[in-house]
Amino acid sequence: MRKRNIYIVIPAYNEGKIIYKVISDIKKNGFKDIVVVDDGSTDDTEKVSLKAKVNVLRHFINRGKGAAVKTGLEFVKFENADIAVTMDGDGQHNAEDIKRMIRKIDEGYDIVLGSRFFNKKNKMPLFNRLANYLANIIVFITYNLWVSDSQSGFRAYNRLALKKLNTKLDRYEFDSEIIKEIARHKLKYCEIPIDVFYTKYSTSKIHKQSFKNGIKTLIKIITS
Amino acid sequence: MILDISIVRWFLIILSVIMIFDRSLKFMRKELGQTLFKLISSILIWGVVLVISIYPDFAYFFAKKLGMGENLNTLIFFGFVIVFTLIFKIFSVVERIEMQITEIVRAIAIREVSKKNKKNLRL
Repeated sequence: MRKRNIYIVIPAYNEGKIIYKVISDIKKNGFKDIVVVDDGSTDDTEKVSLKAKVNVLRHFINRGKGAAVKTGLEFVKFENADIAVTMDGDGQHNAEDIKRMIRKIDEGYDIVLGSRFFNKKNKMPLFNRLANYLANIIVFITYNLWVSDSQSGFRAYNRLALKKLNTKLDRYEFDSEIIKEIARHKLKYCEIPIDVFYTKYSTSKIHKQSFKNGIKTLIKIITS
Repeated sequence: MILDISIVRWFLIILSVIMIFDRSLKFMRKELGQTLFKLISSILIWGVVLVISIYPDFAYFFAKKLGMGENLNTLIFFGFVIVFTLIFKIFSVVERIEMQITEIVRAIAIREVSKKNKKNLRL
């Protein structure tokens, strides 16, 4: 892979137990420019991330996953990034997929969307499948763009995409807002299958997309 | 007369009294955010609810005096329109404030790490 400024942005909220492993896995795959955005965690997420010797930005109050991702992307723009890859901080994503995303950016795509549904190996809980499919339908009706996984946080952006994106939503609806930005700016995008690991730890995170949060997300997508 | 009042009307009477009392108490205690305008508005709104709950015919009497008669429904409709307009206005103000808070939190986060990085370069 040719030399570029590639940054991995990880939004994290109370991921102190797993963030070190997430960072280590990324480093093992050859990426050292990592940015963890601690979104007002009440545990030792910041401390553990600093121990891993990566860039750590901290929101002193919780603002939401979308806000944390945007903070990370604004920071890497400032650092003159050529490519930014965002991934979740709860260990659900496979760091080995980063290289495949970058290859797609090299092929000329502005944004690469990771899709959990393209990968038949993923054993996604039925409720999550149905909820995500409903979200895809709402996103399609609202933004007139069909993607197989509108809620995935594992994505890659090139310079042009980083420059053009102008999101306003702070929470989980941010992932859908990116689809809106793709349609608005006519960015070249593609989807690739990604691995997802549903561990006891990741599925126990109560602040993730519960049914109530899912309804709030759908309302925000429609009204934004 | 007391026996003629339905459970719903009793509920509205009690609720109105509680709301008027609560708002008045907050104002007298000079609690944060309490203004004379809020007190007068609350007394007016809940006062009307209280009076109509005790004397339901008052609404028609009032409408007739105003010359509206059967057009009371129109008045109520416009009341709803005003309320919904206010609600939407409040939503957009809250949304704007949330965005501003996020911008501030973001700026502080980026400034802190930039300061740290500059310090490390100097060392």
